[in-house]
Amino acid sequence: MQNRSPAFWLFLTPVILALGIVVVIPFIYGLFYSFTDWNGLRATQFIGLEHYINLFQEQEFMNSIWFTIKFAVASVLLLNFFGLALALIVTRNIKTNNLLRTVFFMPNLIGGLILGFIWQFIFISVFGDVGDLLGVEGMKGWLSTTETGFWGLVILTSWQMAGYIMIIYIAYLENIPKELIEAAKIDGASSFQRFKNITFPLVAPAFTISMFLTLSTSFKIYDQNLSLTNGGPYNSTQMVAMEIVRTAFSDNQMSYAQAKAVIFFLIVAVVALTQVYYNKKREVEM
Amino acid sequence: MKKKKFYGIASALLASTIALTGCSFGEDSSSTSNSDENSGDQVTIDIFQFKVEFKNQFEELTDKYEEENPDVNINVKTVGGGNDYGSSLKTSFSSGEEPDIFNIGGPSDLEQYEDYLADLSDTDAANAALDGTLTSVDKDGETLGLPFNQEGYGILYNKQIFEEAGIDPAEIKTHEDLVEATELLESKKDELGIQAPFALPAKETWVIGNHLANAFLADEFNHDVMEAYNADSVEFAMGDQMKRFLDLQNEYSVQPTLSLDYSQQVEELFSLGEVAMIQQGNWVYNTIQEMDPEMAENNVGIMPIPVEGYEGSLPVGVPMYWSVNKESEEEVVQASKDFLDWMYTSEEGKKFVTEEFKFIPAYEGYEDQEIADPISKDIYEYAAEGNTLGWVFLGAPTNWTEGSLAVNMQQYLSGDITWEEVEENARNDWEKSRQ
Repeated sequence: MQNRSPAFWLFLTPVILALGIVVVIPFIYGLFYSFTDWNGLRATQFIGLEHYINLFQEQEFMNSIWFTIKFAVASVLLLNFFGLALALIVTRNIKTNNLLRTVFFMPNLIGGLILGFIWQFIFISVFGDVGDLLGVEGMKGWLSTTETGFWGLVILTSWQMAGYIMIIYIAYLENIPKELIEAAKIDGASSFQRFKNITFPLVAPAFTISMFLTLSTSFKIYDQNLSLTNGGPYNSTQMVAMEIVRTAFSDNQMSYAQAKAVIFFLIVAVVALTQVYYNKKREVEM
Repeated sequence: MKKKKFYGIASALLASTIALTGCSFGEDSSSTSNSDENSGDQVTIDIFQFKVEFKNQFEELTDKYEEENPDVNINVKTVGGGNDYGSSLKTSFSSGEEPDIFNIGGPSDLEQYEDYLADLSDTDAANAALDGTLTSVDKDGETLGLPFNQEGYGILYNKQIFEEAGIDPAEIKTHEDLVEATELLESKKDELGIQAPFALPAKETWVIGNHLANAFLADEFNHDVMEAYNADSVEFAMGDQMKRFLDLQNEYSVQPTLSLDYSQQVEELFSLGEVAMIQQGNWVYNTIQEMDPEMAENNVGIMPIPVEGYEGSLPVGVPMYWSVNKESEEEVVQASKDFLDWMYTSEEGKKFVTEEFKFIPAYEGYEDQEIADPISKDIYEYAAEGNTLGWVFLGAPTNWTEGSLAVNMQQYLSGDITWEEVEENARNDWEKSRQ
């Protein structure tokens, strides 16, 4: 670091400035406000840890954390499964390779808010009609119970992000030397053995990145949640981000919401860093 | 090598985040620069308002005012519905871009923005405001807001379906009458071509938490929003009536109610004649008109929610107020007052208020104006005869109606808790926030 030329810092300045203005400074402000009784307009006194003590006793906040964790686990598993599966499909020598890649990636280009409304229509109207037609009770009344709301969100997120994760896996899959696979073939390894012993360990770094991305996004998800279920029924499908926004803007408890946001930040940071640390340890150097 | 890739991707993501934030910055500055362009020695009024439904008409009105008063320049910024408006208003105040005219809702908004609200009691509009419309913005003899309009709600019914089923809406007075009519509609469902008698959008917390509940809470607080605002607890004196009305709507509604929303209720179901009744107010007129102008004009009637002791009364109230920022320069404050006066008391303004905004006026002097839509007309008649229930829900603790009562009602509808628990939980939340 010490031998960097001025040009290095010159090039870095815009990024550092931007990061400082939109991330670091607001973060410090927020941290400060969480210890006060700030109501969005003015703060009159410093109240120390009161918000932090209260928030751990609030049932609704705890419910939303628990719901978010369940959601994150389900969607991380599904996302990586589908991401890898799609990547394996499109790295085979099929004619429509490029078309498929585009198609699979497409959902990711649509905004979460719009996707939420589209899927709301699918879950409520299309599922309902199909259920009527086939006489399947389980397809009716989606999003009106906590369970269906949960799976609705998981399906929506998997559908949207799987293509993105696929791209990352493709990059790593295409980097695997053909020689290794060929050698294994000559040695008589079955296709499952080849996948398990060669492909899988070599795409491990992709797992690190994909897990990191999926984990942090599924924790922070907000727009899909807002447009698909809006927390309903009875706030049971409300994730942490949404709970915080509601506390801030519906309940008007700005500084309390800020304290919740700080806790939320800590949770996401700890989870994501632990995950990266463990995954890194498992990677194989080529 | 793997490290590089990780950082490569991470930095690419970072770059894209910054690019995106950059976009929104650009947008912001372009909209504010608008106001600087045509200043000069003119007075510029920045209006920040929440009613998306009449954005275009309102801008037309301000254009007209600018034409008549060349030295006044008005910028209108509209941010839609409920929560979004509150948070954007707060943001603009804390970022120092305070609007000159903005909207406040109930007494809790008043308390929050008290330091910014100019006294409007010397305006003509304040003098013309109908009795009772100023109580919640009256503070120590000062009038801190001017009513937007009046709104009312009840049970909207499809006249044609009622006629075919042989039901006379004028006969429906009590809850028992309503049950009878509902059962009749249910039994003739196939002949009438409806899916169900009712459509209850239990997903919309404001429909059940604000409006439905209000009809049965108004009596408890003497129809006075300030009394609700100062109350330490809520009794649910008419809780059993609230329960049976909710049950009735839920039982005879298109299912599942918990995922049914406002647009399904009004657009898909009611406007297309798939249900016979919905609990809504005059604000649905424009929506119905877009779906079926014929129906909006001739086919929608309103009848009261049956509340014991208040048969034949509709809940009517003022949903929102105009306020002027007293921190603005003196001439801007005066210009803002003049504009509000002009809007509600000049001939031209009045015409706009009734014909273009389709408001139910909250001011005197509208006797000779034709109220545009039939639902509003009915409501204005109820109001003029004094057959009204108060809107007390604006005096409930912040977010209590939607965040506590409505959520508990939803839980009750899903069968998780009993009605006693709904009342108990909601009461506890009320008491907790009033400590």
